Amino acid sequence: MKLIRYQKLPLYNPITSFTGLRDEMDRLFDVAFPALSSLQRDRFLGDWQDEFPIDLYQEKDAFVVRAELPGFRKEDLTVEITDGILTVTGHQRTESKPDKKGKESNGAIEEQQVSRSISLPDHVAVDKIKANYENGVLTVTLPKSEEVKPKQIAIEVK
Amino acid sequence: MNNLLTKNESEKLTQAPPRRAITPRYRVRESEDTFTITAEVPGVERSSLETTVDGETLTITGRRTWTVPAEWTPVYREIPQTDYQLVFELDHRVNRVAIRAELSQGVLTLTVPKAEAVKARKIEIKG
Repeated sequence: MKLIRYQKLPLYNPITSFTGLRDEMDRLFDVAFPALSSLQRDRFLGDWQDEFPIDLYQEKDAFVVRAELPGFRKEDLTVEITDGILTVTGHQRTESKPDKKGKESNGAIEEQQVSRSISLPDHVAVDKIKANYENGVLTVTLPKSEEVKPKQIAIEVK
Repeated sequence: MNNLLTKNESEKLTQAPPRRAITPRYRVRESEDTFTITAEVPGVERSSLETTVDGETLTITGRRTWTVPAEWTPVYREIPQTDYQLVFELDHRVNRVAIRAELSQGVLTLTVPKAEAVKARKIEIKG
């Protein structure tokens, strides 16, 4: 069966698509039933652990990526950019603590990592990237690099 | 999802009418003297979070306050445009007036102390 994506998603990055068919179905689901929020739907499928929702916006001079990552500490979030691909990773390590009355914890350590990569359509001035984490939302502002900003070119008519 | 706000509560929300609200991811843990409810509500700030106890019902409403600035063009959007609502029925096991709420980086933690009568109390045996 051939799955035809009829909505152009320019940032559908092959790197994140090795989760494969299920993701493709999720995206078609979003297109066909936009009323179902991805939060509701993914809880149903029980597989929310691997992904968090992101938005990508474009301004005149910059791109902005917003990612919903509640409950992390600032130092557990990493934002990296390599070759036009932005990767956001959240790392969380929880140890079960002993009870108030001093009962021993079972020593279980839970480690969780979530990560997503998106490819950016244009070149970015890497040294001017800023990231901000507030209310559980990570906002990354990526200024476009000089040469790709739209420039007026004077047209000479002879 | 049903809009479970009672008339009193919807009058308190004087901002734009509530958008469709979904139940956030949450988890309830029980310890010896409290129940702890942890809910993930990213995008909600302190001013847009309401926790109300109305009789036997505990209602938590969180609204996402951020809107897209006019100059921005959305290229790709996954973040749902919904608000959050979580409703619990409280019974005699909890102390309703002593509920505490904390919001940190999109995670709401509600500490609901157990009622005194329900906490185990050792009774001394004389003899």
